[in-house]
Amino acid sequence: MSSLRWEDDDLAYDSSVFVRGKGHYVDDIIIPEMLHMTILRSPYARAKILSIKGGLSSRDLGAKMASVGEGAGPNQRGSIEPVFATGYVNYVGEPVAAVFADDRYRSNDLLDSIEVDYDPLKPVVTIDDALNAGPIHNGMTSNVLVESSKGTDFPDPKSPIVLEDTMENDRVSTNPIEPRGIVASYVNDILNVWVSTQSVHSIKDGLVESLKLSPDRVRVMQTDTGGAFGSKGGLYPEYVIASYASMKYGKPVKWIETRREHLSSTNPGRGVRGRVKIFAEQNGRITGVKGDVLVDAGAYGTGIASFSAGFIAMMMTGPYSIEKGYVTGRSVMTNKVPQGPYRGAGRPEASFFIERMLDLLADKLKMDPAEVRLLNMSDKPFTSPLGMKIEAARPFFEGAVRELRYREETKLTRGVGLSFFVLVPAVYPGESARIIVKDHRIKVWLGGNSHGQGHESFVRKLVNEELEVPESVVTLFRGDTGMTREGVGSWGSRSAIVGGAAIVAVCRKIRKDVEKKFGSYSPETLLSGYFDEFINEEQKMSLNSFGANLVTVEIGKLGNVRVKKCIAYYDVGRALNREMVIGQIQGGMAQGIGQTLHEGLYYDHDGQLITSSISDAGVPLAEDLPNFEVKIAEHRSALPHGAKGVGESPTIGVPPALIRAIERASGKRLSKTPVKPDDLIK
Amino acid sequence: MEEALELLTKYGEDAKVMAGGQSLIPLLKLRLASFPYVIDISGIAGLNRIEEKGDYLEIGALATVNEIEENYLIRERYRALHEAAGLIADPLVRNRGTIGGNISHGDPSNDLPAVMIALKAKLELSGRNGKRIIDADSFITDSFTTVLSEGEILTKILIPLSTRESGGCYIKQKKNAGDFSVAAVAVNFVLDSSERVKSAGIGLTSVGPRPIRAANAESFLEGKKVNDSVAREAATIIVSESEPSSDFYGTVVYKKKVLLSIAEEAINLSYERAMVR
Repeated sequence: MSSLRWEDDDLAYDSSVFVRGKGHYVDDIIIPEMLHMTILRSPYARAKILSIKGGLSSRDLGAKMASVGEGAGPNQRGSIEPVFATGYVNYVGEPVAAVFADDRYRSNDLLDSIEVDYDPLKPVVTIDDALNAGPIHNGMTSNVLVESSKGTDFPDPKSPIVLEDTMENDRVSTNPIEPRGIVASYVNDILNVWVSTQSVHSIKDGLVESLKLSPDRVRVMQTDTGGAFGSKGGLYPEYVIASYASMKYGKPVKWIETRREHLSSTNPGRGVRGRVKIFAEQNGRITGVKGDVLVDAGAYGTGIASFSAGFIAMMMTGPYSIEKGYVTGRSVMTNKVPQGPYRGAGRPEASFFIERMLDLLADKLKMDPAEVRLLNMSDKPFTSPLGMKIEAARPFFEGAVRELRYREETKLTRGVGLSFFVLVPAVYPGESARIIVKDHRIKVWLGGNSHGQGHESFVRKLVNEELEVPESVVTLFRGDTGMTREGVGSWGSRSAIVGGAAIVAVCRKIRKDVEKKFGSYSPETLLSGYFDEFINEEQKMSLNSFGANLVTVEIGKLGNVRVKKCIAYYDVGRALNREMVIGQIQGGMAQGIGQTLHEGLYYDHDGQLITSSISDAGVPLAEDLPNFEVKIAEHRSALPHGAKGVGESPTIGVPPALIRAIERASGKRLSKTPVKPDDLIK
Repeated sequence: MEEALELLTKYGEDAKVMAGGQSLIPLLKLRLASFPYVIDISGIAGLNRIEEKGDYLEIGALATVNEIEENYLIRERYRALHEAAGLIADPLVRNRGTIGGNISHGDPSNDLPAVMIALKAKLELSGRNGKRIIDADSFITDSFTTVLSEGEILTKILIPLSTRESGGCYIKQKKNAGDFSVAAVAVNFVLDSSERVKSAGIGLTSVGPRPIRAANAESFLEGKKVNDSVAREAATIIVSESEPSSDFYGTVVYKKKVLLSIAEEAINLSYERAMVR
């Protein structure tokens, strides 16, 4: 496979290629003269760099990382990640230098040619270390990267019931099947980049900013992307280095991540602790919630880390109508790989915390957990004291109790867990789309890029509905900044919502073009003409997707959990493609089970990564999974095509339901994922 | 074989012997180890035979784990070995990995060394100066350390013939399918005519720096009929003979609880099997 071009249909989305083994992944690209890049990474969690001999390093490229992608806040002073470690290394796996050769193995061998002298320093490894130790970065006064609060502080009321707990979700590697990878090729003053990504626009914006390039000299194209789960939405040092090297050496440069590199150096998700206190009446009604959220941001403040804490704090009331709320959030710096988004990106953490507290309250009052949940919900829309807008929740969840057969299941077995949640998708600021009609074909581009969700299925359907053309003439192409001048990305359960709305809008624009040119519209006149329209469809509306899960378990005598049933009842709005929706929910439920039973990234006291293989990091295996049951409610949104969010629902809903089922089966209060056999063995 | 031994003598510590490559190749691939010379012995003819001969079941060092798992004789008469083979990693690894490699690697988490201990096997080591036979339980001295001298290769495994009065099993607790074990136990009993344990063999995997022979539990059981309380007491002795350490697979306390449970189960099951024969 040489370089990929949409003009040759190379970049068309077609999920059938995966089944046939014909995908075009970034590692399939082979361009003459191409160099392979290997990164020398820090073996220390924290050290002063005394000297570097050999390789490409910060001496050659002193650039800083741009903060782009999902939830990227502005770079926080004093904590900006350098492209190459500069003066200090701050996590195991941080890029220190790069070498290049015409063959992958030769370039790996060249690592031995680099000499780096380090003076190791005592690392800050845990959240507690971060709060107690001095700052890891010069120029900061503490390890607190950001501190924010939601709601208004209130004196503790004299409630009959006051419950408090500290809960935690350990860090989780995103572990898509395809690790990260990039090919950069600088030809005729244009930097062409092919990359496995959720957002070509984030990568382009990042490269432009980090390398101080002119935007019209950079084109970023998406190859087939074998999963991402949040980790491929933003910029990484390797992308900047490969791009820089392709310009410096005048040759194409390829970098493909190994699994070990993925585990040490790709931004993982979760790593969040919450201390939550609820105030309630004897009848189970919660009157107030207070909380303190701590996010393990890792070594640098670039990307989502500064956003996470406040985002989780904002969602701490879940779908419940709680009148008083005050939650503080802090992201703290540790000598570990920087945190990033992982399927849910703050939503699962918030849901885990409040759902664990609802169960605690039910146990305290010896009430039914479903009953306690329902009586804390409203029949009317509600704006939480923390700033979250919730639609009328109770009617949906009353239905959920029936749909999930909750009453029946609790009669059958002790190990039943139930969770209710509200998913707030990342609708803002909208998405872009472009359509070119030429030669009886309709070619479509979206600003945000599918990495396994199958965007082409909803695109074909919506174009078919709007323009009355057969789906077979519609082709969605992979993200390409050469074809969409601006765009956002695929994350935050947003694509069918905002991408779908953009498709509808651009179709209607084209329809008007046809009417204007020919007086009236027909699919035949459309297809025989030439039309080219781009739209950046802004969205600012607040949207909710409600969901509920039921999980049942059995626990073996050695503490091993067997998931027996895992049932979902989610409102997905209008299901644009039912099979894709169900598939996405099943995959997400597997990940929810993985996080709850197995997955974690662990470091020793020296900040060395212990979980350096995919087996150790604990992805869910077939033997862990039950037969899933997926039920879909289709309450249309206010958008013309009626879509709501779904992608993150299962990772929000499954962990609290599963941990509750384990808690019921074991009779032991559980506050942390993953739950290990150690915690459960008799 | 002569050629392999010659090369091994010639290159000494610069060379590493490879059979199935299922431990060595990952080490090389991850660049955790590197050797100037790798001596591939997988093509040596006749070193994969499995046959009962004289007082022993003889297994050539190059017999693959899959060949052992599928061997009719082993499945019928050496249950601990059959079960252990079927629990190693996944079918891809079992198709290439060999019994000799599994034992010589010296990994305390590899399954077959504990089985060799339980079956009271002997190992044939070949060098340029001839062959020597040693007891399997003296072969591995520490993590990844064996008594193999420079220039020596493990060539044959000799397991005392199974009789009608014997029975055994291998029980392994894993975190995930395909993973190494949290703990595993191999048990083999030979009973006397009054259904008392005449000879007990107990080997432990993953609960110490090397595979462990639970010698005290063996002597405790010998001369006894096994019932629930005997099995329970023997399992407690087995736990006292283990030396697990806290790591990624669990804490010491957890591993000891797991071992206690599977050891009791293995003793009961092995005794039952020996009785049925």
